[in-house]
Amino acid sequence: MSALFEEFDDIADLAEGLDDPSAGARIMAVMELADSADPAAIPYLARAISDSDAGVRKQAAQALTDFDGPETAAALVTALSDSEVDVIAAAAVSLTELKDPAAGDAILPHLDDQDEVRLTALLAGIKELRRPEALAPAIAALAHASPSVRMQAVGVIGWLQQETSLPALRSATQDKDVNVRRTALSALGFSKSASAQETLVDGLKDPEWLAREAAAETLAKSGNDSCIAALRAVLDDEFWQVRLKAVRSLGKLGASEAALQIAPMMDIPVPNLRKECAAVLGELAVAETAPFLEKYADDSDPDVRKNVRWALEKIAA
Amino acid sequence: MDEIQDGLTQIDCDILVIGGGTAGPMAALKAKRKNPNANVVLLDKANVKRSGAISMGMDGLNNSVIPGYATPEQYTKEITIANDGICDQAAVYRYAQECYGIIQELDEFGIRFQKDQNGEYDVKKVHHIGTYVLPMPNGDTVKKALYRQLRKARIQIVNRYMATRLLTGEGRIAGAICVNTRTAEFLVVRAKAVIMGLGAAGRLGLPTSGYLYGTYENASNSGEGYAMAYHAGAGLANLECYQINPLIKDYNGPACAYVAGPMGGYTANAKGERFIECDYWSGQMMQEFFDELQGGKGPVYLKLNHLAEETISEIERVLHIVERPTRGHFHAGRGTDYRKQMIEMHISEIGFCSGHSASGVFVDEHARTTIPGLYAAGDMANVPHNYMLGAFTNGAFAGLDAADFIADVDFASFDQSEVVAEQERVLAPTKRDDGIPPNQIEYKTRRLVNDYLQPPKVTAKMELAQQRFEEVREDMEQGMYVRDAHELMRSLEASSILDCADMAAAASLYRTESRWGLYHNRVEYERDDENWFCHTILTKGDDGKPAHSKKAVQPYVVEIADDEKDAYYNQRVDATVAAE
Amino acid sequence: MPLAQTATTVPVVVNDDLCIADKGCTVCVDVCPLDVLRIAEKADGSKTAYMKYDECWYCMPCEADCPTGAVTVNLPYLLK
Repeated sequence: MSALFEEFDDIADLAEGLDDPSAGARIMAVMELADSADPAAIPYLARAISDSDAGVRKQAAQALTDFDGPETAAALVTALSDSEVDVIAAAAVSLTELKDPAAGDAILPHLDDQDEVRLTALLAGIKELRRPEALAPAIAALAHASPSVRMQAVGVIGWLQQETSLPALRSATQDKDVNVRRTALSALGFSKSASAQETLVDGLKDPEWLAREAAAETLAKSGNDSCIAALRAVLDDEFWQVRLKAVRSLGKLGASEAALQIAPMMDIPVPNLRKECAAVLGELAVAETAPFLEKYADDSDPDVRKNVRWALEKIAA
Repeated sequence: MDEIQDGLTQIDCDILVIGGGTAGPMAALKAKRKNPNANVVLLDKANVKRSGAISMGMDGLNNSVIPGYATPEQYTKEITIANDGICDQAAVYRYAQECYGIIQELDEFGIRFQKDQNGEYDVKKVHHIGTYVLPMPNGDTVKKALYRQLRKARIQIVNRYMATRLLTGEGRIAGAICVNTRTAEFLVVRAKAVIMGLGAAGRLGLPTSGYLYGTYENASNSGEGYAMAYHAGAGLANLECYQINPLIKDYNGPACAYVAGPMGGYTANAKGERFIECDYWSGQMMQEFFDELQGGKGPVYLKLNHLAEETISEIERVLHIVERPTRGHFHAGRGTDYRKQMIEMHISEIGFCSGHSASGVFVDEHARTTIPGLYAAGDMANVPHNYMLGAFTNGAFAGLDAADFIADVDFASFDQSEVVAEQERVLAPTKRDDGIPPNQIEYKTRRLVNDYLQPPKVTAKMELAQQRFEEVREDMEQGMYVRDAHELMRSLEASSILDCADMAAAASLYRTESRWGLYHNRVEYERDDENWFCHTILTKGDDGKPAHSKKAVQPYVVEIADDEKDAYYNQRVDATVAAE
Repeated sequence: MPLAQTATTVPVVVNDDLCIADKGCTVCVDVCPLDVLRIAEKADGSKTAYMKYDECWYCMPCEADCPTGAVTVNLPYLLK
């Protein structure tokens, strides 16, 4: 009978396979070291990051996903300079799986790297570690030529939730790339400051709907009464997705003065939007909107008629 | 490999966890952390690295109760309504209170939940009242992260052993008999407590493709948990409440309303109109789906082609990477594109699974079954609408309680002749020179399940099913033939599947009313609260056949107001109108 | 009664030029939930993984976990 239980082999024994002349055997050793989940395997895997065979290096970069801490991060940072794109891609993914803030020690010194691929990966890696020291380099990275770098930089800033970063986020909402702008608008959600509100209100006028949608959605999280007028102004946006988020935010803000403006939107032939309008009219519970809702009590769309019924009950109560 | 070999080993452990999918690993970890001296063994018929329903991952949590988005009271209420009132709320309420802690723990394991640009949980709305959906952007790494934790905790893992029967003695659990799926060698495990996390009975009905393994559930989940609990004398609750799911036709994978819904996708009829009234994934919703399919308004489709390109790319990214990644290949092969056309849907074969319904081995809020020392969690235990987070959370409850249970007990003695008898039963198909292979026994059982047990349920058809199952059982016991250890595993699965089919028929005949929408739509009977507002409990009778009893629904922890009950009934009436 | 030999096309395909079963790799065999893959010895004495049993849930761990990209999971013909 073969071994009954999965084994807990000695790491040094497993690592001997890394010296095998065959690349396939070295790949096997890397996989076994990964399965050990034993931090003692990290130095060996770090060594395998410099193997002569790209397949071994890629497997090592993947294997490091199972580990954490500065030594793991340092090996992954090294792998970002590999000659093979597969190795770099594997290392970039593993970097985003780091959890231990101390792992940031190995990333922080490299945040001045100007290479697009490396810097994107480094910023993505440091983001969830929430290291305050990353704020300044992230702000500097907002000037980088690559939109993917700038987007990750915004992510780092947003996760740190520092009021002092508001001017930087504000300027990122003016970026020429729409994905950077929408990420920056969403990142403002942590701040209840007047400056953040103003920026989000400006975002409602962005030329791209994705950015306007992000601004309208984020106002449900951090907006206050001063934003109601601006949200009402986008209720006739050409994109229903933007209108839907604006309606939702107005409901969240309890903007009963908007109820009679929302009520006629029940006539718009977009089921998702009408469903949301009915729900928000229920939340706002303004009696004068009842006739608009009653028209749709038997709507052909079940989600709409269900929300209409619910809203009418709220208004009656 | 695969040659049948003689052999029997016996080992002892404090806690035996059977099933290394979702609930099992969490149970093992919790037990080990609570009592580091406990000898915990985790056993799986596959390899713990990639076993169970979430073998390839999961795209999100459908039932997360996160402070600020939903309350335990609200959740308990909604699950009670979705289960037509037949619900012991204590287990649901405890889940709702503690699942957030489990989410945070999973987060520490390295399983990522979607966060917004400030690093806060990004919960999506699907249900009307609460908000429960939390996407998992790296859901493809769930099993890897779990495995890492098991290794770190030095849990003893046994792969490729299939548990076939539980051992009991002194009125409590004593262990389990297992067989190696590649050598047919036996392993007897003496244990003070046993935790079962063996998943759904997913190979009960036959998928319309006719491919035995093209099931909705991971096809390795063939119902051993239900069969073993039954033969050990445990009670099984509400097995007539089948699981039936709305799926992508032929591919038989989830349509992922929970992913596409919050982004604006929905289920539509042939005219492109939304028709499902019911909020919850429930039997009522499946009845509406069935009515539309049968009522001339089908086929039924997943509609995404009204969404913006940016939204569709995001949906594709999630659906085609995580949970069932071959889905992208399927659409590519068919030439179907979410942008251009609606995607045809269908309803799944029937199965047992509390992940989306309310049936299973009866457990309380500690995951205790009716046999002392025996626990069950995940899809096979009867906590309704478990989903993946329920498996993790209830698995944790089982592990914690078992760690206490073993402190006060020694091994229960059991009758050695049970082991001998089980060896004979298992090996019988290897002793013949020819006969019927397990795949034919299985195919016939499952084809009969489709012919006679699939709802709408008709008494005469279910009685016919029982007769035919008897004949198949006779063939199986007297004539099944296997040539190697792999086929032996399949023969044992065929036996579990037949046990489950018998239980499904018996439970369905016992409850002489209709309840849970399509799941238990008995055409000859109306809903009957006076006689059937109760659980049904199925046990193995003295004659070796299923016996039945009623069990009262425990008083609610969270009251359901009359107008909320009315809302449910109203919905029911409207649904019928809509289906005309 | 002897059993029939009915042909069936299998969904999992292994590129034996890439497969490193020769080096002792059994990753795809290990991770399969349905245990349908095995290692075969070829005519020249080298080894490769292959699908022995047509009992596939097309779930993909074999493809995803293969270190050399040798495994491809197709959909079973009956449902594709």
